[in-house]
Amino acid sequence: MHADSSPQHAVAKPPLPETGSQSGYANLPVTKAPGWHGIIAWDALLNGMATGLFLAAAVSELAAPAVFMRVAKVAYPVALVLLLVDLGLLVLDLGDPLRFHHMLRVFKPSSPMSLGTWCLTIFSLPLTAAAGLSLLAEVGWDFEWARITAVVVGLLPGFGSAAYKGVLLSTNAQPGWKDARWLGGYLTNSALLMGCAELLVLSALMGQTQAAAILRTAFIVLLLLNVIPSGLLFANLRPAHALLYTREQQWRVGVLIAAGALIPLGLMLLKGDLLFILVAVTFLLAESWLIRFVYVKIPHTSPLEVRSGGIV
Amino acid sequence: MASREQELSALPPASDPPRGRLSVMLGRLIDPFLRGESRGLMSEVLGRLIYPFLRGEAPKPRPATGFYTDTTVCIGCKACEVACKQWNQLPADGFNWSGNSYDNTSELSATTWRHVKFIEQFSHESSSNLASLDTASDESPLNRWLMMSDNCKHCVAAPCHQACPTGAIIQNEFENIYIQADICNGCSCCIAACPFGVITRSDMGGHSHKCTLCYDRQRDGLEPACAKACPTQSIHFGPVEELREQARERVEQLHQRGVPQAYLYGDVPSETYSEMHSFYLLVDRPSVYGLPDAPFNPWLHMMGDYVRSVAGGLAAIAVLLVVVFLLKP
Repeated sequence: MHADSSPQHAVAKPPLPETGSQSGYANLPVTKAPGWHGIIAWDALLNGMATGLFLAAAVSELAAPAVFMRVAKVAYPVALVLLLVDLGLLVLDLGDPLRFHHMLRVFKPSSPMSLGTWCLTIFSLPLTAAAGLSLLAEVGWDFEWARITAVVVGLLPGFGSAAYKGVLLSTNAQPGWKDARWLGGYLTNSALLMGCAELLVLSALMGQTQAAAILRTAFIVLLLLNVIPSGLLFANLRPAHALLYTREQQWRVGVLIAAGALIPLGLMLLKGDLLFILVAVTFLLAESWLIRFVYVKIPHTSPLEVRSGGIV
Repeated sequence: MASREQELSALPPASDPPRGRLSVMLGRLIDPFLRGESRGLMSEVLGRLIYPFLRGEAPKPRPATGFYTDTTVCIGCKACEVACKQWNQLPADGFNWSGNSYDNTSELSATTWRHVKFIEQFSHESSSNLASLDTASDESPLNRWLMMSDNCKHCVAAPCHQACPTGAIIQNEFENIYIQADICNGCSCCIAACPFGVITRSDMGGHSHKCTLCYDRQRDGLEPACAKACPTQSIHFGPVEELREQARERVEQLHQRGVPQAYLYGDVPSETYSEMHSFYLLVDRPSVYGLPDAPFNPWLHMMGDYVRSVAGGLAAIAVLLVVVFLLKP
């Protein structure tokens, strides 16, 4: 605004009032927080679980059909159910849920929400086809080529559906959120991690030992890989957290999040039993939800100074 | 002001934009439902489904209009707030004691599209002299009231406009940012995107609302209600280029009169934000008026965020593929 060097545009620094005077609106928040609360944390989790499960199943099945075909056929319907619940939450979160379809009257790549809505809409079609054809195959009507086609077609919109969410929640003017450059990287990476974990649970439940063994290794590597984007995300959010939470509160949440990552890692390194897998995946999902919840709450949390009465 | 209105009234009144063929066809299809000739659940559902896809052709661009608000002559009378509420039929906000001077509406909201801000800058030493406000010492910058009538900035590259996924937020023919309330579905993306905290979702309909720059009045050749009501000409309305000239002359005038801190906020673009079609003459830091000192358009980060997002996903897929290929029998 004040890039112009002419005197009338320069930010003049007039003598400011000293003690006893007020600095006007200087210490009040400028932006308004959108009405996005816990439901959005659940949406971000379910979006990752649905898209991640589909992508993990599709990639594994296409890479090694002999090993993963059976578990993938179960994974697609599960992913569809998760996606439907997620879409339900998205609709419910609108101010006017009956106008959900208004999202589809334009395609605006400049709007992450528009891009995401189109990705989700397109993704839901091949996912439904893949899920339906997988179920039909179970009752003897096998249209294998059609199912594989649906899986391949779903890859790109599925990936888009996973990738838009972080950009939506970081491309805005909200305190904290606007600095979260690695949110998208974390959420997309986390989606694949959760997808791999879910596929591992399904493999273990179905007794697919070969698939479970491969996925267990992949899960361990992905857990380690996820430390990078989550570390970068927390580095982005550190200044905002310092303003909002006491050191003790930050430590408490930090320990919970670290436990959510380390416990699954330790369990998976120890043993690949069903019980170990279930506990590990439960910890991972809880940690993933906690990170999303803490993130969504940032613009709704008053700074410490305000809470302690430091600011009028 | 009256002459300006006469000038505007002389402009040919704008008419409703013509519709395209598809829109006409869709319109015919749902017309019975909209007029209530056909009833029942199916009719309701069909009407709701088709309605948002009805489109008119974009009206021909007109000269960009906007506001220039000279805060140095604002007297805090709130006539603009009242005129805005009256013309736009916005409900009252109740009698609230905000504890902040004479500010009882506190902020811009879905029902308050103009908000007069009050900033009391008095030092302790002079508080005992408040009774004698005509003394020279009380005219110093340390003992003053700042007042500012705030509203939507009608940014040229508006983050709310970029964020809106329904196309409800448009830049109209006057290059003002306008929310089509019948299209908005209350997703709140615009609220998250606005760096000025202008837009709010209404509790009543669940849709976003803000200043329309009196689009309806402009189309009929009238000036916005707030500018019309302002008794001190703090709020100027007109073609943006003319307003900028006028504002720059005023700044020069103030500098010559011993107010060196006067400057314009939002009249020209910065490296991180576009110019605004509603800009202000201020005499203190923007933050004192509740404005960001250096507004930033969040969309400057979008491509980078997408790249990181895709990279995070591709890295995970690559790991999965490598493990599968390495360990498969």
